[in-house]
Amino acid sequence: MDETMIEMDHVFKTYPSQISALSDINLEVLSGEFVFLAGPSGSGKSTLLRVLSCAERPTSGEVVVHGIHITQPGFKKIYQLRRDMGIVSQDFKLLRDRTVNENVAFALEVTGSTRKEAKNKASEMLRRTGLEEREEDPILALSAGEQQRVAIARALVHSPSLILADEPTGNLDARMTLDVMGIFTDLHQKGTTIVFATQFTGLVKRYSYRVIQILNGHLLDGKKVDNGKVREVKTEE
Amino acid sequence: MTFFLQYVMRRTFQNMMGNLFPNLITIGIIVISMLIFSTFTLLAFNLTNFLKTWEDKIEVIAYLKRGTPSSEVEPLLKKTRVLEGVELVRYISPYDAMTFMETKLGRQKNLLEGIQPAVLPPSFEIQLKKEYRNSTKIKEVVTQLRRMTQFEDIQYGQEWVETFSILVHILRLTQWILGGLLLIAIVFITSNTLQLTISSRREEIEVMHWVGASPGFVRVPFYVEGLIQGLFGGGLAILFLFLLHQGLFLYIPPSMQAWLERIPVVFLPLETIVWILLGGMVLGFFGSFVASMRVLRYK
Repeated sequence: MDETMIEMDHVFKTYPSQISALSDINLEVLSGEFVFLAGPSGSGKSTLLRVLSCAERPTSGEVVVHGIHITQPGFKKIYQLRRDMGIVSQDFKLLRDRTVNENVAFALEVTGSTRKEAKNKASEMLRRTGLEEREEDPILALSAGEQQRVAIARALVHSPSLILADEPTGNLDARMTLDVMGIFTDLHQKGTTIVFATQFTGLVKRYSYRVIQILNGHLLDGKKVDNGKVREVKTEE
Repeated sequence: MTFFLQYVMRRTFQNMMGNLFPNLITIGIIVISMLIFSTFTLLAFNLTNFLKTWEDKIEVIAYLKRGTPSSEVEPLLKKTRVLEGVELVRYISPYDAMTFMETKLGRQKNLLEGIQPAVLPPSFEIQLKKEYRNSTKIKEVVTQLRRMTQFEDIQYGQEWVETFSILVHILRLTQWILGGLLLIAIVFITSNTLQLTISSRREEIEVMHWVGASPGFVRVPFYVEGLIQGLFGGGLAILFLFLLHQGLFLYIPPSMQAWLERIPVVFLPLETIVWILLGGMVLGFFGSFVASMRVLRYK
């Protein structure tokens, strides 16, 4: 039986302004799965990922990630959860005053690795993401696609078993998008669980991964809204 | 552990160098605040010392009624010697008093010509035990003396002692009230500078949160920054106070110097200096703690 990586049970998120960001979310993602979280801008994708990474607490409902009940009152060890989680966002969040290697090594240094160890592991990860020749370059000298690859390398350098990617190809052109998708596909094949949020249906259609559609905070798991009607999304294995 | 300390020191240095100007301003304000507090501490310390020296010299003079028969003097002396708090009693006859006055007047002793010693009242010079040489305890002895009917008047420079004691109390009170206000200001200022530092490192902190840096890795460098600001502030304040203390003797007129030699203005003892430095560090730490509570929540 496959192990469950993510379980969301009747999760609601309502902001103080009474805006409902998530409504009765029930979701299960298995270990090693690649899941597209697809939906238009403002549909609740980012909120859902933020709830999974503990950046936000849901208003009600239960969330279990990697066997940890993160919604239980008193859960404080967010940092331990995050060490097994790679977070990638659309805006990269790279440190502009550092080199490519320093950006990746930073993730290890602040979690207890020595500088030398962090530098070596960062080099290895940059080699895997095809950036070995840009290691010592300042981050601003890189193209958007390369910067996104650095952000991915940083998210992966501590070998997480779950990756939460929020529109990681949002700022990239078609060729760079394929480049980045190649890295995610490779990771998936190695057994990493990936939740990939995107608003680009074209991208979703190119791959045969499970698609979960989200609209106005509601999940349409295995279905899609087409001309106002909910329809099944056909996936090819 | 060594790695963690190296990391903390490196990060603290990076943070401070990256926000050098706000850090210098904070240290400057801590210096001024601590200097004001330390100055009051130094003043209070010296005045207390002076009061103690003075109190050591306090004695009570009990004037006997004129015409007290000499046969009554010896029993009265014995009775006074056994009073609680009395260490030594010396009888001063009118002749002794006259000799004393002549010595005091020196070349102007001719002013006393024609004055008979008999006009001067005989008295007892009463030295008190050390623990009775203060404005509160001295009154206990004086009350006992007043009960003896043979004494006409009792003097012990009470006004001076009381005024001086009040002055020292006011100084100490001002020191702590002003000190308290300045210390609150230090916490507020340190906290705000550290918020600036934290704000300038916002992206870095966000990444640290993302990758699972423990709260210690995120917060401790900022706590150390506060400690360093407090230590530098306190240390520089002590240094400036020391220079002021030294400079005081360079610029005062020689006539006052001679007077000051009798009342030594000493610098703060090592123990007080250590307390001031520790106080600065604690305040700096507290400021950074307040700042971190406000803006370094894990999210």
